[in-house]
Amino acid sequence: MAEKIIQFKVFRYKQGDPEPHYDTFMVTVNERTTVLDALETIRRDQDGTLTFRHSCHHASCGTCGMRVNGREVLACVTNVMELGTSEVTVEPLQNAPLISDLVVDMSGFYETYSQAHMPLIRESEYLTESEVAEGVPFHMRLESCLECGLCLSACPVVGTDPDYIGPATLAAVWRVVQEPRGEDPEALLAWIDSEQGCWRCHAAMECTEVCPSNVDPGGAIMALRGELTRRKIGRLFGKA
Amino acid sequence: MANYHVVIIGGGGTGAALAHDLALRGIRVTVVERGEVTSGTTGRHHGLLHSGARYAVKDQESAKECIQENMILRKIAPGSFELNDGLFVAITEEDLAYYDEFMEGCAVCGIPTRTLTREEALRLEPNLNPEVKLAVQVPDGTMDAMRLPLRFFATAKHNGAVIKPFTEVISLNMEGKTVTGVHVRDHTTGKEYDIGADIVVNAAGPWAEKIARMAGVDVPVQPSPGVLVAVWGRYNNMVINRLHRSGDGDIIVPQRELSIIGTSSWVVDDPDQLEVPEEHIRLMYEKGAEMIPAIKHAKMRAAWSAARPLIGSRGATTGRELSRTFKCFDHADEGVEGFVTITGGKATTARAMAETTADVVVRKLGIDAPCRTREVVLLPHTAYYT
Amino acid sequence: MVETTQLNVRRRQRRPGAWLHVRRRHVGSWAFALNRLAGLGLVLYLILHLFVLSLLAKGPATWNDFVALAKSPLILPLDIILLAGILYHGLNGIRVALIGVGIGVRQHKALFWTLMLIAAVLLLLGTWGFITV
Repeated sequence: MAEKIIQFKVFRYKQGDPEPHYDTFMVTVNERTTVLDALETIRRDQDGTLTFRHSCHHASCGTCGMRVNGREVLACVTNVMELGTSEVTVEPLQNAPLISDLVVDMSGFYETYSQAHMPLIRESEYLTESEVAEGVPFHMRLESCLECGLCLSACPVVGTDPDYIGPATLAAVWRVVQEPRGEDPEALLAWIDSEQGCWRCHAAMECTEVCPSNVDPGGAIMALRGELTRRKIGRLFGKA
Repeated sequence: MANYHVVIIGGGGTGAALAHDLALRGIRVTVVERGEVTSGTTGRHHGLLHSGARYAVKDQESAKECIQENMILRKIAPGSFELNDGLFVAITEEDLAYYDEFMEGCAVCGIPTRTLTREEALRLEPNLNPEVKLAVQVPDGTMDAMRLPLRFFATAKHNGAVIKPFTEVISLNMEGKTVTGVHVRDHTTGKEYDIGADIVVNAAGPWAEKIARMAGVDVPVQPSPGVLVAVWGRYNNMVINRLHRSGDGDIIVPQRELSIIGTSSWVVDDPDQLEVPEEHIRLMYEKGAEMIPAIKHAKMRAAWSAARPLIGSRGATTGRELSRTFKCFDHADEGVEGFVTITGGKATTARAMAETTADVVVRKLGIDAPCRTREVVLLPHTAYYT
Repeated sequence: MVETTQLNVRRRQRRPGAWLHVRRRHVGSWAFALNRLAGLGLVLYLILHLFVLSLLAKGPATWNDFVALAKSPLILPLDIILLAGILYHGLNGIRVALIGVGIGVRQHKALFWTLMLIAAVLLLLGTWGFITV
């Protein structure tokens, strides 16, 4: 298998540092190597103090979100050679407080996201022609959102406005509106029908572009607006 | 109650369940993990909520553990699983010949089964190999490998446990032959410091032996990796297993919009050196396609290895000969006080591993505090962060 | 709160210029950034335009001086830029209004390029109009 030596420029910061800096590491990669593989190799063989989040290695846990060559990706499914550059820059996500190196603090994300109360399990829209096995109520699957924060890092509005509810949470609210599962979609719609809610979006659609899991948060935000607009117009004529 | 402090080394599924168990028993807990939580073996496992049927013939201890824990997890972590059940499919005559042993094993282990004809199986799973001869339905499910342990961590945290990721154990502090705490480096600051403990629990999975040596004891842990391949596309709702003696690539677990084919098995000395042999990736596709032909052309999302922590001394060749059960070692038996190791096991049995270990811990501390983890419903995983 | 060492954690800061960082972004972000810039430009133009109109109140001589200036060939590029700004902001604005209520969201990129094509055609026509009239 073909191999190449790639130069990784990695963002470094430890608590107490006055400023961050970049460290350079040379790593031999092959056709299968992902950015996460490279970071693990660096940590094991070159610098055991490098901190980065990762867990599942297959784009399901969402913890390895970072910016590679300036773009938000999940490191575990980003193939190094396919990036096409001999120097690869690795930086933490934006719009989240930095803890160290590539690790950001996700508690802000979850403080907002948890308010959507989106259950983890949904009805599966796949394989509808299959019968359901006896004892199984319906075909179910885990929700698509990986809580990776790539959308928040990429969104220009999240960058400029820390109070914006943000694409991930809005997409979750839309999912509850579509499939309540015992939650309260009306209360959620009232919450996001606000200046910091779905109306704050400027349709850059960057969230949908970077989402690794087909959540389409941009589409969800517009769908929420469509829903709210329909209701407002309906109320207008309903009252008349 | 005296303010006992237990330090748990290892922030994987076992550490999570143990922190939860001990916190419920009123013990002060600190978990130290060198990376992000579940970044060792736990986060990257297949994601199977095991019915245990896979072990019903050859490893009945593990099979019974699995089905019991399967039922408990459904109760204490509701809403965390794709509960579509699973099928064991017979594709060849050889597979069919295994049926009787399999059914007997499941009965002995208490695993509920339902036998389906070829037609019934294909109605449930139209993408199955049309050569399928029969299928057996079992209570398999899909779990999110990270988010389930996160529920244990969340609940433990809200009950006072302190979870410290990016905190690596450099050495154990000892007074004579008693472990008194851990010496750690916090990688977010670069600073080193000590954490005192009445008991240190080694829950480091395949790294358990490395940690045990810091106390001068030996723990027979054989790291045994296997390759997993995730592909785009959801070809089945139910977990699809091959009805045969455990082998490679004989499980396909659906998860979100992906299908995970696994796995293989070999042994290594160092769990930090995990390769992903190209032949194993091909093997996963090949074996997966024997059950679901369409998967042969599915686009790969990721291929990775995870190291099982198997109990058993060196001498194993592939790892498949070792049991998947777990064991708790009280090192006082070897003259080292204040130190306990829990190893082996599976993601599905983490809670049971924790119960056994916590029982040993409270016995050592001289406390009378029973386990409550079978009943307490866990907080949602988001509570870990809020 | 998860116990992270909070000593010097860099708080999430407001980055007012974040919307301008389009280098590695996709067409939607470019469209938004350009829309904002065009909008700002048009506001400035509006102020200028109102000032110009106020010259009417200063009598025919002042007004005629202005018209002579406005007919100079140096003004033509500025007029083209102005027309481009109006067309861009207006047509992309239609796109934003549509997707903003859930219409054409999936096709927002195709919608963008189609409207830009129309804008380009109208710009060419307009430029020809500026030159010939």
